[in-house]
Amino acid sequence: MRTSKLMSLEEAISTYIQDGDLVGIGGLSFWRKPISACREIIKQNIKDLSLCTFVGGIEVDMLIAGGCVSEVRSCFVGMEIFGMAPHFRKAVESGSIKISEESEASIALGLRASYLKVPFMPLKGLIGTDMPKVRNDIKQIEDPLGSGTQVMAVPKIDLDVAIIHVPYADEFGNGNIAGAVWMDADMGKTAKKTIITCEKLVETEDIRYLSGKAQLPLQTTSAVVKVPFGAHPTSCYPIYTFDPRHIQCYLKNDFEEYKKKFILDKSPIQYFEETGGVQTIFNILL
Amino acid sequence: MSEYSKDYTFDEMMTVLMAREVRNDDVMIVGVATPMVWAAFTLAKVTHAPDAIYHYIMGNTFVLEPRQVSLLYLEMNTARTYRFQDSVECTLESLPSDKLTTIEFFRPAQIDQYGNTNNVCIGDWEKPKIRLPGAAGILDFSMFYSRGSFLYTPRHDKRTFVPTEDIYFISGVGFPEGKPSICGGSGPQCVITNLAYLDFDEKTKKMRLNSIHPGIELKTVKDSTGFELVIPQNLKETKPPTIKELKLLQEKVDPLNIRQLEVLSGKEREELLDEIIQRELAMKNKFPKLLF
Repeated sequence: MRTSKLMSLEEAISTYIQDGDLVGIGGLSFWRKPISACREIIKQNIKDLSLCTFVGGIEVDMLIAGGCVSEVRSCFVGMEIFGMAPHFRKAVESGSIKISEESEASIALGLRASYLKVPFMPLKGLIGTDMPKVRNDIKQIEDPLGSGTQVMAVPKIDLDVAIIHVPYADEFGNGNIAGAVWMDADMGKTAKKTIITCEKLVETEDIRYLSGKAQLPLQTTSAVVKVPFGAHPTSCYPIYTFDPRHIQCYLKNDFEEYKKKFILDKSPIQYFEETGGVQTIFNILL
Repeated sequence: MSEYSKDYTFDEMMTVLMAREVRNDDVMIVGVATPMVWAAFTLAKVTHAPDAIYHYIMGNTFVLEPRQVSLLYLEMNTARTYRFQDSVECTLESLPSDKLTTIEFFRPAQIDQYGNTNNVCIGDWEKPKIRLPGAAGILDFSMFYSRGSFLYTPRHDKRTFVPTEDIYFISGVGFPEGKPSICGGSGPQCVITNLAYLDFDEKTKKMRLNSIHPGIELKTVKDSTGFELVIPQNLKETKPPTIKELKLLQEKVDPLNIRQLEVLSGKEREELLDEIIQRELAMKNKFPKLLF
């Protein structure tokens, strides 16, 4: 018998995430973020996390508001057209969290360096910006092979844990992403531990017939958790769209109240009922 | 001869001016949360640039068909209809190449006379007065585009247009000290605002007032800019939207006025946002409407 990696959300988070970890979060902006896992992290009161995500939104803001974060590595954290991410902003302005300023390429290539086991990658961008003033671990260098081109060396990013939400996975850890993959495949493959949350469990055989197959292969997956609507209020293509009403609700409410209503002592089912349940599914998501 | 309209809003003026920058062979890069740019590109696509290709950063997808601008269902557009999907690193590193002519509009929070821009923070980086969302790909691309970078802001004022020493963080590279970047891009090409169309003097690389929008006083532009603009001797007036451009924009490209979210603030913005969400949620089909 092959080993099943299926576990509960509570077990996956408590087993694989420790205080102080550098956590990679999959998805982008309001799309396919592992929000149910973020709520569980807040519930378990995990501390001092460093977050790394490509384009951060409500998940970063929520984890900061929940007191779980000491550092953010991201090139963008905002609520898109809904405005700024309020707790991210407040935390940076008050100095309660540290920022590691990144660009899209410094994250993409940092993860790629980790994948290739090289200490840095050369990058064409960043030259002429103020990035080197705030990052003493990047450096402008001349092509060592003699072309004379100036490049920026950016360091590898070694994640402790990656959390990635996908539409389909099997119980052995093969995850399939529909639509854009962004940095998720690199995060999943390079992190020391990878937690997949999924909408639907499928058979391994089914993965073969899904477009893209297992972008997250079983050998680098630590845990698989089934959480339907686990990305809500962000989207999970092709199953549901993001929920603008809940994002507005998040922004309008004081976080402590939000936490009481939607996070503390709430199972994924109770959470979803609080957000409007069947009404939300019929009128917004599908 | 196109007939120019006399009745338009400044967001319509800006969108039309941005559309006019697009060439038929461009790859048009649509970033995150920039409905005005999306509207402008789509307007270009249905007017003078039918062969231009969208590149949605949010999906790393190249899309051919123009669709009505949408707030909620952009993902359906980018994820479903692509013809070719690139890997992220490949997108990041190859888009600003010589092979593709790309056009991307950046919206800076601060800009100086040489087109250097800031989207990171207001105040000292260590302890900012305002932490902005961040500069994302501007840090990577601004110095590379062979066709240069394109800038826009609906807030032409002294908080946005600042002297070089007041830029808190250079996150987009213009013409450092009046010279092109060593990275080989053509640098900023224009700045489209609610008051004027600005470009950069060929020799000094300083920002120049190319044309002033109808009804705007020269003094207003000067008083709204925190540095001295190059003012040509015979100052032109910006050509307003044509009746055709305006009709397409209002009826086909962006009938829900999503682009206006970029120009409004406070309560007005909240109300428009609510209205758009309500109207989009009421739609049975979650794919933005295909145009032509």
